[in-house]
Amino acid sequence: MKKGTLITVTVIVIIVLSLFFWVKNSYNGLVKADEQVKAAWSQVENVYQRRADLIPNLVATVKGYAEHESETLESVVEARSKATQVSVDPESLDPGQIAEFQEAQGELSQALGRLIMLQENYPDLKANQNFRDLQAQLEGTENRIATERMKFNETARSYNTMVRSFPRNIFASMFGFETKGYFEASEGAQTAPKVEF
Amino acid sequence: MLKTVKKHILAAALLVLPAISCLAIPSRPSPQRLVNDFAGIFTPQQAGLLERELVAFDDSTSNQITVVTVNDLEGYSASEYATRIGLDWKVGSAGFDNGLVLLIKPKTPDSNGQVAISVGYGLEGAIPDAYAKRIIDNELIPHFKQDDYFGGAAAACEVLMKLSSGEISEPRDRSDDDAGGYLALVFFIFFAVIVSIVTIGKGNNNGRRGGGGNYRDGSDVMDAIIIGSLLGSGRGGRSSWGGSSGGFGGFGGFGGGSFGGGGASGSW
Repeated sequence: MKKGTLITVTVIVIIVLSLFFWVKNSYNGLVKADEQVKAAWSQVENVYQRRADLIPNLVATVKGYAEHESETLESVVEARSKATQVSVDPESLDPGQIAEFQEAQGELSQALGRLIMLQENYPDLKANQNFRDLQAQLEGTENRIATERMKFNETARSYNTMVRSFPRNIFASMFGFETKGYFEASEGAQTAPKVEF
Repeated sequence: MLKTVKKHILAAALLVLPAISCLAIPSRPSPQRLVNDFAGIFTPQQAGLLERELVAFDDSTSNQITVVTVNDLEGYSASEYATRIGLDWKVGSAGFDNGLVLLIKPKTPDSNGQVAISVGYGLEGAIPDAYAKRIIDNELIPHFKQDDYFGGAAAACEVLMKLSSGEISEPRDRSDDDAGGYLALVFFIFFAVIVSIVTIGKGNNNGRRGGGGNYRDGSDVMDAIIIGSLLGSGRGGRSSWGGSSGGFGGFGGFGGGSFGGGGASGSW
């Protein structure tokens, strides 16, 4: 009788312990993946910020050559201030917020595209070395945006797969891990500022 | 009979097809090399010359510059394609992220020539986008317009080397190469086992023979020294051979660098 209880207790202890370690590993895996997604998001924000920082210089340079194009210039400034107002909570990375963020940034991309196109009408602007350097920086930044968005999507995808696959999804919902949003647009749509109507 | 063979061929083709169609970015070349002329715009001599120069630069500064030429960008923009190659192949070392990709898509009668320089995270300070753009405008495109692909690529690499060596200049540490490291470890364990077997044997002899073992002791120690030195020289010989292969023009392999999309592109 005593031997029997000992065995039962041992079995229960082993089950409890293995359950504990399983939950612990799953939970820590989720935490790690969650942190990776946040890190990827902060990189995305960095490169968008980098673009926003370029704009005042770019606008000032273009203004020197194409003062009459105030409509285009203003639309860039306006789109920039709108885009910088839309922020995404990095804790939740809610799909709706990401879509809103993407839309505001997309409008800025279009306004910037029109600004860059002005050079075709102003040969002096086109030849200006400062403008050319700024244009190169803008182009590089657009490419950085595309790259960081791709990396974010990959990281978020692997996190979402983790959160939604059985049996981890049980803990995920218990501990409040929710799926994250993606950038939806096709790649390449944002790699270079283009005028699209 | 023929029908079943045909069926098998068809099935095999169907299996292989998706594998081919998703190969958008060329996979890492094997053996790994720095000049990957998929478009065939360099002569073998030119490719060899450029490769030697870039490998020597990689050995002395650990900055990896890879030159890739393709005939088709598969729908990507040139900079995106270059960045994807950098990310996929992991150009540059993991610690410094100091890789550079120079991508050339030659001009054909029905399409523009395209060129892009993609800069790894670690070199973005040394080669800002504006510099990359100037290299494209001043070194690459003027040469490319005259169909002098090698001249342009060599001139651009020279400038890139100058710029990047100012930022990161660590001699490449080959000691963490897998093959060399494992080989050394295997030899070391082998050596240790031999020595311990010999010394254990010596201990037993001592116990059994007492004072009479003096002569035997000497020979055992001699054995150990001879075997040890043989193995030791074997190990030394091999590792120095591995080292010299680097100077020979062999490229040690891409390191694990990452790219953020910095750089510039141009077309002509």
